[in-house]
Amino acid sequence: MSFFTGSMRQHIDGHKELTSKSTVKVVEAGNLVYIPLINMDSTKVEVLVKEGDLVKVGTKVAIRNDHFKVPMFSSVSGVVKANAKVMHTSLKPVEHIVIENDGQYLQQAPLSPLDHKVATKQELVDFMMNAGIVGCGGAGFPTYIKYSGECNIHTLIINGVECEPYLTSDYAMMHENLDLMFTGISAMLKMCGAKTAKLCIKVTKKEFIQQLKDMATNYQNIEVVSVPDVYPMGWERTLVSQVTKLKYEKLPSEVGIIVNNATTAIEFARALSTGMPIIEKYVTVAGDGVKNCCNVKVKTGTKASEIIEACGGYTSENVLLIAGGPMMGKTITNDQFVIHSYAGALTVLKNNPVVSMACLRCGKCSDHCPSGLQPVRIVNAEKVKDIDSLVKLDVASCVECGLCTYMCPSKLDVTEGVRRAKRYMALAKK
Amino acid sequence: MKFTFKPSPNFRQAQSTQSIMRDLTIGLLVIFGFTLTYYFTEYGANYALRAVSLMLTSVVCATLTEVIFFKCMKQDIKLSLQTSFPWVTAIILTLMCSINVTYYALAISTIIAVVFGKLVFGGFGQNIFNPAAVGRSIIFASFAGSVSADVITGATPTAALAGSNWLVTSSSEGLSNLFLGLYPGAMGETSFLLIALVGAFLAYRKVIDYRVPVTYITTLFLLATVYGMMNGQGIEYGLYHIAIGGAMFGAVFMMTDPVTNPTCASGRILFAVGCAILTIVIRLKANLPEGVLYSILLMNMMTPTIEKFMDGKQTLTLKKNVITIAIVFMFGILSVVACSFANNAQADEVVNNTNDTYEVSYRV
Repeated sequence: MSFFTGSMRQHIDGHKELTSKSTVKVVEAGNLVYIPLINMDSTKVEVLVKEGDLVKVGTKVAIRNDHFKVPMFSSVSGVVKANAKVMHTSLKPVEHIVIENDGQYLQQAPLSPLDHKVATKQELVDFMMNAGIVGCGGAGFPTYIKYSGECNIHTLIINGVECEPYLTSDYAMMHENLDLMFTGISAMLKMCGAKTAKLCIKVTKKEFIQQLKDMATNYQNIEVVSVPDVYPMGWERTLVSQVTKLKYEKLPSEVGIIVNNATTAIEFARALSTGMPIIEKYVTVAGDGVKNCCNVKVKTGTKASEIIEACGGYTSENVLLIAGGPMMGKTITNDQFVIHSYAGALTVLKNNPVVSMACLRCGKCSDHCPSGLQPVRIVNAEKVKDIDSLVKLDVASCVECGLCTYMCPSKLDVTEGVRRAKRYMALAKK
Repeated sequence: MKFTFKPSPNFRQAQSTQSIMRDLTIGLLVIFGFTLTYYFTEYGANYALRAVSLMLTSVVCATLTEVIFFKCMKQDIKLSLQTSFPWVTAIILTLMCSINVTYYALAISTIIAVVFGKLVFGGFGQNIFNPAAVGRSIIFASFAGSVSADVITGATPTAALAGSNWLVTSSSEGLSNLFLGLYPGAMGETSFLLIALVGAFLAYRKVIDYRVPVTYITTLFLLATVYGMMNGQGIEYGLYHIAIGGAMFGAVFMMTDPVTNPTCASGRILFAVGCAILTIVIRLKANLPEGVLYSILLMNMMTPTIEKFMDGKQTLTLKKNVITIAIVFMFGILSVVACSFANNAQADEVVNNTNDTYEVSYRV
């Protein structure tokens, strides 16, 4: 019914050609690596090592210890130093465990490998929790939660869409770990009891889809689905609606669906076969603000500055350094933050000035909002603090995907206006 | 080394308001090019020259008015002009006038349109009424008789149709020529075909929303067909209504004016349906030859109400909105049926009193 609501999506020129064809460059960890003591927005993290301890690659150094359990691991071998407060990709200074890298990379697998074909569901869920597997699409949500307890799931959707512009790290990860991905999907299928898994890839990756389809013939219940090249196709709600036509209130499990990122499946399979947690990441470094755009493979806890340096440095004295893609990633005001276990990109853009003008009321924001909201009305209602209208306009449904600002021909910061409205409503409720 | 903070997203599409207005201007100039060609080949260089002079008069007046206004308001003139687009109003207004409009009528109405149609509301993006429509209604209201004597006169197809009690007769203009637009009328409004092509191009370029002209023309055609069938006219009666007057021009260039129509898709559809209903009711019943202009102004007034009514999450309000649009459409059909009965009663009176001459009060 896009005639009456607008398309709720938009094709975006993703500049993916900058990095999609290049080989993955390995960037060695520096002298010090930093393990951030945060998962999602929770800093209730219990530290399991003290200053002076010797750790190896894979040593459990901390655990998020509230209603979610997320262990964190060392990515290098060496000596634990005093904790430091460093900028984190969430734009907050956060406590980090500092480990002096001895460059030997001695391994100590925290778990013993597990064969998903013989393991029970509960064993797999426990394993997933102990391996610290989190959603690698960027949110870092502990994956085991989705599979815990009795879940009535009929379809598992594996998200390989990667709709953020510039990003190709998921693609590189999938491309190089095809067997692991299928193993991971099989294990996840067993855990949720779903009949089929749908592996979703953008329709533009024709050769890759064919390659996956050929592989999928060996697996009865894994199906490769091509989805349109639009933003935000990789958003859970848009993807579920595209693939199954189902709509849900809060979580996809309401309609019998689990969505997991393809990289998450690969990391899970790797953990199952080697007993090692997420200690390395594929990171896309791209944008007009960095000399050599490429995908890099780095140890978790490596500083952004070291990665950028390995990619030839900055091209401008004034840049926007974004942790993640340019649509949803936050600009960080220094390059001392680190790549954590659910980071996937650094986008560096020249800080070109944006000249904005009066709102044309063109309604492109309302036509394209994937949540079906009316950003222009929200922004106007927020300006006059019209609470009744803001309630009606359902501000809380905004996921800050950024498409309204992207579309705005008057170059206004529409998304930021909606965020202001959200904050105002959160205060008004108190 | 500086790491600047900017809230996400930091990625924008190429299209800007400036490029939208540039494309719109080009579209309007294509129409004007057709006008010039028509007058040059049919009536000679003097007429083409007059059309150019009229256009220049209006554009210069609009721009000068804004310059003076910004000067008085102590705003940066160059910057303000770049984000105010006075020429668009001027071009649309000129294209809505016939070639025999006087220079001073056009100049005065341009100034009033720019000042009272746009600037006093707070400038571009803030106005409630379509400025060009305001200007045209000034000409209708105050300068109806102000036409130069030495130029082509004669009833336009719209006035002719109004004169025959809105029924197609053998003396009516042929349909094919109505669609091509090779007849004198409002300078830019005559060629349905060319305007439709330009409109399709602008919609393809995402400059205008295709929903508005598509809904408007479809609704107008359906309503007119209902009237035609009730009065023994063929299916082509609906085509007459969409081909005459400013229907297509208004649909493509004025109803799509984003500033003065609702922002959500359903709202714009309701807006277009409302325009179509008002157009045909004004044509059939009001003492005016043309309804497009006033339908736009009246619906502009309804825009805030429509927006307020359609506030909400569009996926959740979809059903309500579609039902509302359907109800308004049914109301339109009822209105046309009522118009038909009323006109037939009136026609009977005319037959009883044959000495009465029906005179068109205003010429288009």
